[in-house]
Amino acid sequence: MKQPLVLVLAAVVLLPLVVRHAIATEIWIFAIFGLGLNLLLGYTGLLSFGQATFFGSAAYVAGYLLKYYGIGIFTALGVGIGVGALSALVVGYLCVQRAGLYFIMLTFALNQLFYFIAYQWTSVTGGEDGMPGIPRPALLGIDFRQPLAYYVLVSALFLLSLWAMQRIVESPLGKILQAIRENEVRAEALGYNVPRFKLLAFVIGGAFSGFAGVLYAMLFGIVPLEAIGFVFSGNVVFATLIGGSGSLYGPIIGSLVFIWLSESVSVLWARWPLLLGVAFVIVVLFFRGGVVEAWSRIWRFSKRAS
Amino acid sequence: MALLEARELSKSFGALTAVNAVNLRIEPGTLHSIIGPNGAGKTTLFNLLTGQFAPSAGRILFDGRDITGTRAHRIAHLGLARSFQRTNVFPAFTLLDNVWVAAFACSRSWRGLLWRRTESYAGVSAQARQALNDVGLIAKQSELAREISHGEQRQLELAIALAAAPRVLLLDEPAAGLSPEETRRMVALVRALKGRYTIVLIEHKMDIIMSVSDRISVMHFGSLIAEGTPAEIQRNPEVRRAYLGGMAA
Repeated sequence: MKQPLVLVLAAVVLLPLVVRHAIATEIWIFAIFGLGLNLLLGYTGLLSFGQATFFGSAAYVAGYLLKYYGIGIFTALGVGIGVGALSALVVGYLCVQRAGLYFIMLTFALNQLFYFIAYQWTSVTGGEDGMPGIPRPALLGIDFRQPLAYYVLVSALFLLSLWAMQRIVESPLGKILQAIRENEVRAEALGYNVPRFKLLAFVIGGAFSGFAGVLYAMLFGIVPLEAIGFVFSGNVVFATLIGGSGSLYGPIIGSLVFIWLSESVSVLWARWPLLLGVAFVIVVLFFRGGVVEAWSRIWRFSKRAS
Repeated sequence: MALLEARELSKSFGALTAVNAVNLRIEPGTLHSIIGPNGAGKTTLFNLLTGQFAPSAGRILFDGRDITGTRAHRIAHLGLARSFQRTNVFPAFTLLDNVWVAAFACSRSWRGLLWRRTESYAGVSAQARQALNDVGLIAKQSELAREISHGEQRQLELAIALAAAPRVLLLDEPAAGLSPEETRRMVALVRALKGRYTIVLIEHKMDIIMSVSDRISVMHFGSLIAEGTPAEIQRNPEVRRAYLGGMAA
């Protein structure tokens, strides 16, 4: 239990020495986004292809308030959590009524709906050009425009998110969500209002997404239209599956692999998504538990060999 | 007064009437069995009583209260727990976690739902262990449900129903698919539960039914055709014709 946490802490310290600060920051932001998705995907067994809805909505609303009303960092993050949770409440309410493929398609369709609102509403969102000019307000005399200062803030908030998610998955709620994943009919018969619990998972996941969305907007100083697009929703699913949806740490590893590949290798080779595709095929065919499972298998194998 | 009562309860699936105007009264503290050939509508009746299906007509009363149309998760909170004919557990969970979620569902308070550690609910954990102990699985509490034998899964199925500390226990063929040795153990278990709970039992094995039941209702093509003590049922000519067929003649 302690070992993965030590590895995460080590990664937080070492990462800015290895990659550019902006990439390192983006990795932990995407990891927060993945943590929220994995409560749905890994723990509740719900594949949501619409997480960017909450990520993007929060980024737009908080970005707008940061830009025109000069709110502080923590107010912006609070707004992000609120908008993420609220949009997830609306979307989730409509989606949890359906199961299986219909559920997935609904999350996707509603994501498209939000996307086209952002696309059309150019006076606020900037449409295709995105919403630029989002500041990173200073706090307690610390200038977060310094890349390292912002990295420290984001990684601290990431560790806080990880801690919060760990508490949630180890709480009765975590167990109930897993029970729903394992056997929905029995969970209902035991006395759990299954749609209500799925909705709760949605809202919590949406809050994490919104939190990540605001950090993302402040990182790049812009909310690009892609931040609310379905490709972005797909990316977080992709990253989480590569990392391993069966574990709390899976989305973190997935985010490391995905963002590092997309930001570093893409510079060297424009066809980099091919690598990602190959990695994904390998995961689906041989390591359904993602990198986490691959690692534990190698670990066991090496112990047996020695 | 009956603890659980069905009045003119019916359920149709299209042209098929699976349960047809059934009247049933379960007295508190008794073990009431429901027998009948395959397809007689016994499991459908259970699904109606526990809210899995909404009835097409008729009413269900629990403790004098009309619970017709109440959803399954609410009925569980009123104190009706069921086991399933086909094993219906949480395969990737340990045995203890299987009963823990059942015990938590009907525990008095869900305070700390989002942040308290599951181990810190001492009362729930104790109740969960008690249920495993009652069915004789406490030694295997850390094993995964998918890795134990079929017989043990049937015992776990029962433990999950017990863990909710219900007022009425509906058992749907607890001995389904068990070996003679396992069946004997299951019968002893049901007998031990008798008196502690009000039990409604669906079972095919006649020797079990006759030895444990206080009352028996016989279903045939969706209708109740007889009700009485085991001795009365054995003597009933209509039951012999419908259910026991030529064998008992």
